[in-house]
Amino acid sequence: MSSAPHLVIIGNGVAGNRAAEILREKDKDCRISIISAGPLLFYNRYELPDVFKGRQDWRDYLENPPEYFSDNNITLRRRSIVADVDTERRKLVLAHREEVGFDQLLVATGGAGYLPERLQETASLTHQFTTYRSAMKMYKALPKGGRVVMLGGDMIGLDLARTLIETGYQVTVVPGDRTFWPHEISAEDRPKYLAALETMGIEVINHGEVERIEDTSGGATARRVVFVSGETVSADVVVTQYGLAPMVDFMSTAGVDIERGLLVNPQLKTTRDEIYAAGDVCQIWEQESNGYRFYYGWRNVRKMGEISARNMMGADVPFETEVDEQLIIKDDGSIDSPFWEYSA
Amino acid sequence: MTAELKEPVYLEEKLKDIQDSGRLDFRSGSLPTWCPGCGYYSMTEGVTNSLNELGLKNENVVCVSGIGCASRFPFFVDVYGFHTLHGRTLPVATGIKTANDDLTVVVVGGDGDGFAIGGGHIPHAAKRNVDITYLLFDNGIYGLTKGQTSPTSSMGFKTSTTPYENREQPLKPLMMVLSYGASWVGQAYAGHQHHLAGMIKKAIAHRGFSYLHILSPCVTFDKTDMTYQNMNMAVRPLPEDHDSSDQMAAMIEAGKTDAPGLGVLFEEIRPTLSDNLDAIATSAGADIKAKTAQAAE
Amino acid sequence: MTINGTDLQIAFCGSAGDGTIAVGDILKQAMAMAGYRVIAFDQYPAEIRGFGKCVSRTRVTGEQVYSMKQQTDILVSLDDSHAIPHASEVRDFGAVIYDNAPMSLMMEGEHISGHLQPGQIPYALPIREISERATGSNRGRNMVALGFVAGLYGLQQDVFHTIIARKFKTKPAAVTKDNTAAFDAGFDLGAGEFLFDEVSIGAPPAKAKHEARMLSGNSAVVEGCLDAGIEAYFGYPITPATTIMERLVTEMPKRGKRALQTEDEISAIAATIGAGYAGVRSATATSGPGLALMAEMLGLSVMAEVPSVIFVSQRGGPSTGMPTKTEQSDLNLAVFGGSGDAQRIVLAPTNVEGCWRCAGKAFEMAERYQTPVIVLLDLYLSNRYETVIVSPDERFEASSSKAMVPAKSGEKYQRFAKTDDGISPRAIPGQAGGIHTVTGLEHNDLGRPSDQANIHMDMSEKRHNKLSKAVDHPGITITKRFGDEGDVEVGILAWGSTFGESLEAMMLARDEGIKCAAMKVVMMSPLPEQPISEFMDSANEVLLPELNYEGQFAGIVSGTLGRPVNRLNMVPGTPMRVDDILNEIRRLAGREAKDAA
Repeated sequence: MSSAPHLVIIGNGVAGNRAAEILREKDKDCRISIISAGPLLFYNRYELPDVFKGRQDWRDYLENPPEYFSDNNITLRRRSIVADVDTERRKLVLAHREEVGFDQLLVATGGAGYLPERLQETASLTHQFTTYRSAMKMYKALPKGGRVVMLGGDMIGLDLARTLIETGYQVTVVPGDRTFWPHEISAEDRPKYLAALETMGIEVINHGEVERIEDTSGGATARRVVFVSGETVSADVVVTQYGLAPMVDFMSTAGVDIERGLLVNPQLKTTRDEIYAAGDVCQIWEQESNGYRFYYGWRNVRKMGEISARNMMGADVPFETEVDEQLIIKDDGSIDSPFWEYSA
Repeated sequence: MTAELKEPVYLEEKLKDIQDSGRLDFRSGSLPTWCPGCGYYSMTEGVTNSLNELGLKNENVVCVSGIGCASRFPFFVDVYGFHTLHGRTLPVATGIKTANDDLTVVVVGGDGDGFAIGGGHIPHAAKRNVDITYLLFDNGIYGLTKGQTSPTSSMGFKTSTTPYENREQPLKPLMMVLSYGASWVGQAYAGHQHHLAGMIKKAIAHRGFSYLHILSPCVTFDKTDMTYQNMNMAVRPLPEDHDSSDQMAAMIEAGKTDAPGLGVLFEEIRPTLSDNLDAIATSAGADIKAKTAQAAE
Repeated sequence: MTINGTDLQIAFCGSAGDGTIAVGDILKQAMAMAGYRVIAFDQYPAEIRGFGKCVSRTRVTGEQVYSMKQQTDILVSLDDSHAIPHASEVRDFGAVIYDNAPMSLMMEGEHISGHLQPGQIPYALPIREISERATGSNRGRNMVALGFVAGLYGLQQDVFHTIIARKFKTKPAAVTKDNTAAFDAGFDLGAGEFLFDEVSIGAPPAKAKHEARMLSGNSAVVEGCLDAGIEAYFGYPITPATTIMERLVTEMPKRGKRALQTEDEISAIAATIGAGYAGVRSATATSGPGLALMAEMLGLSVMAEVPSVIFVSQRGGPSTGMPTKTEQSDLNLAVFGGSGDAQRIVLAPTNVEGCWRCAGKAFEMAERYQTPVIVLLDLYLSNRYETVIVSPDERFEASSSKAMVPAKSGEKYQRFAKTDDGISPRAIPGQAGGIHTVTGLEHNDLGRPSDQANIHMDMSEKRHNKLSKAVDHPGITITKRFGDEGDVEVGILAWGSTFGESLEAMMLARDEGIKCAAMKVVMMSPLPEQPISEFMDSANEVLLPELNYEGQFAGIVSGTLGRPVNRLNMVPGTPMRVDDILNEIRRLAGREAKDAA
């Protein structure tokens, strides 16, 4: 093992990969490892709705070719899940029972699709649109021109919905508290935005709370959503889009402060000097509101990756958002969001 | 020997007797190249006589030689012959016998060919009980290459390669061959030609690996040690009560190298290599009888 | 090289006790049964017992290929410590399959997941746990992994069931049941996994006209011997030729034939020659060190004009060398070994089918030309498996001997009589009227020893000339040209197992726009001068890759034909890498070399 410091990034998304890029820029010799639960190289999740436009080769979504990682001497450990962080010994314990030492740690695990408890039992009957694999799974389950019932309808889901409409599918949104997540929409503004969805060709139905999902494969459609009210809606595919929940369970014994996300100061450092966090997993201290808050969207997350890396290298730069988080209705009546903005 | 007067022998009659006996049928047209007085003449005579007396057809006999004074032996016998390499007579003979059980295979060679370079093969031919006859001509010297020491040269013997004297103990071939498990072991002496001929016949007649140790002075390169004069005094018949089925008794006789006992030291009947190979084939499911019947057709 | 349809190379890597070789065996048998072409090469540890590394590689294709691929499509780790060094063999977007719930805690770097190249796709599954759930024991780990590969890549489940049942048919029924259960558990998981690979199994090629046999080079030699009617075999164990003897001592007795383990290699060839003299088809098999011991006997076989067949599987040398590594460094010994001018026939097959054909033809040739015939394999060829499809109409001559015509009375049979073709009619012991003695001494027509100048000169010429007919021996292709016709930039002259990699490299070079061709040479002695010469004429540069240090065949070719060749020599103990040959082709063609992938 080389004596160069080992900088370990948990998470293979925008924040983690941006951080790796900056770390390597600043230090040619340090060891950099990215630990990823998924099987793939860093790819662009924002473009995944394109799967329905016929862009199905996962390699088309890669942000960097495989050589990028070898050329920059970045070790990528995929299908590796961090089970525990032993801060005292500065070791990660991976679920496959391998210990990996670190000198500094950046947690950039992001969030997992949130699923309300009542829907967890029937999770196998519903889809989530979070990864390439889940996108392909949904694509394969959906007949041409078929009907998608989207429960919740966060901004990730609504982005998908507009592509589905564009490509000739039918989309029905069953709104709930997390519709438009991460935008926080007041009760009086909601009807306006829901109406905008209908302008976009998305059916919005309001039968109240969902009771269960039924498997009706063999019939005309594969799924049926049953509401508490007794009403039902048939669907080829049911997709749950209730926003993301930070993935922090493995940090519970790491000795850092956690609320919903990892709590970090504006320099993105946790309550331990050697551990930083960036992206959807962290809550950043905000002086004005005297509290910790999340920042979402590609631009924020990328910025966090950059800031955390610079600070890990000894800088003292605070994170400041440049994103105006306003959900807007355009002239044609459709909605648009800064969270849908993505530029390579 | 009595002093009784013998009938005169007339050469023409003797020659006719010899021709009528068929003994010459196994002589080839080539004249031997050995030194006058060499024991190989007795051996050739013994072999051709025995083959004749055993009623074998010339073409069904193969004579195998290696390198040494015995090299050219096959050329002097009117049978199929294979003059092989130094020390390799036994494995070649094993191949011939394995290929065709109907052949009578006689191997001839000296003490150097057999117990120096070829010493590694004798135990295996013996333990396999290859049905061949090994006539080993022990003269205690390398004759063909003009007088070098051999594995059976006696201590103190001076040769061209032991000019000061041989300080190595000679091998005891008979004890070795007995312990290797040869199924027929005998000793003869070139100076006792009729006994030798009889022993060769017995050796060939034995079904299995027969080893005949033939003591034979080298008249050219050994003027002091294993001479006819010395050997005539040393050799003796095996005791009349020697039990040739008793391997340990044979061992004791074989150890008496100062007074070599002539005769059959040991014999036993046990399956030959071919018997065993056939048994293996049978247990593997082959119909050996059918094969033999086919071959006989 | 582009293969029509399927082309998947699957490697299992583990300890000796992990069932690595067994699972590779099931894979190749199943794929052959499903109708694919299979080529497979296993590597074993040199240690007799213990935990040495085993690698079993199987290439499944839609058409016949001549080599393993340099890059593996799928690597399965049954033991990470052994698999890690092989992780880099997997191509981009190929699969690496491993256990993500191993028994014990590991230090950093001990798990294979930390060693994958960025382009490779990891598939992690709790192999041991699945085995324990499916069978109650962790001994089915290999089958779980195999099942996973089969499920993931869409291999046919039912043929595996058949092969598993066949493999364990002599064991208690529970063994088949457990292995099948473990396989199925892995299969279901694999079938449910997402395949990120662009490559998968294609439909098997149209059913071959004839039965496909799955043979290793050594077992093909055995089949060739049996098909040619071998009567006697004598051998002495030596890696990597031993399996030839082990199979012959099993198979020959079933046919009433005789096979024997002798006390050493000298006895083995001596008995082979003895049996040959007695008129039966006989053979021995050995490796380089054994051939060195046999050299004197080869001379006897030449001088006495007695047929003998010697199979030689080369390994790393000199001396004891590297017994479990492959090399092509016994060519000089095979062609020239021994004293005097001892011309003999040397055949070097390039693939498993060739092993079968050369084995059978060796008996025909030995008998026809009354000479030793050496069939030169190497460890790579001996141990690798291929599907062999040969027409049942292709048979070997039952007898090729130019038999003695009984002499007129009063005439003496001349064993070494001068004839037009240099081949003297031969009598064998037991034949009346044919009595003669053969000898290692120079001899006259009758076989009588002679050292007269004219006799030695005439007989030397006779022994030499009679072999020149061997290049026209029917039923065997002794040279063959592949690739571009006409003039080429680079011509690759290759022999033995290295021809496979050479062909692959040649095809890749053609894909890159380099005009090139490859010629395989099967008859190493006597050298087929005319076709080799014509081939060399057509090439701007001639490349001769071989697995020996000095370029033994290059020496023979350039020495015989008097013209230079570009040598590519290496002795890694493993097959030559396609990339190494390809880069040499590029260099000779004036193109830039590229880094090996």
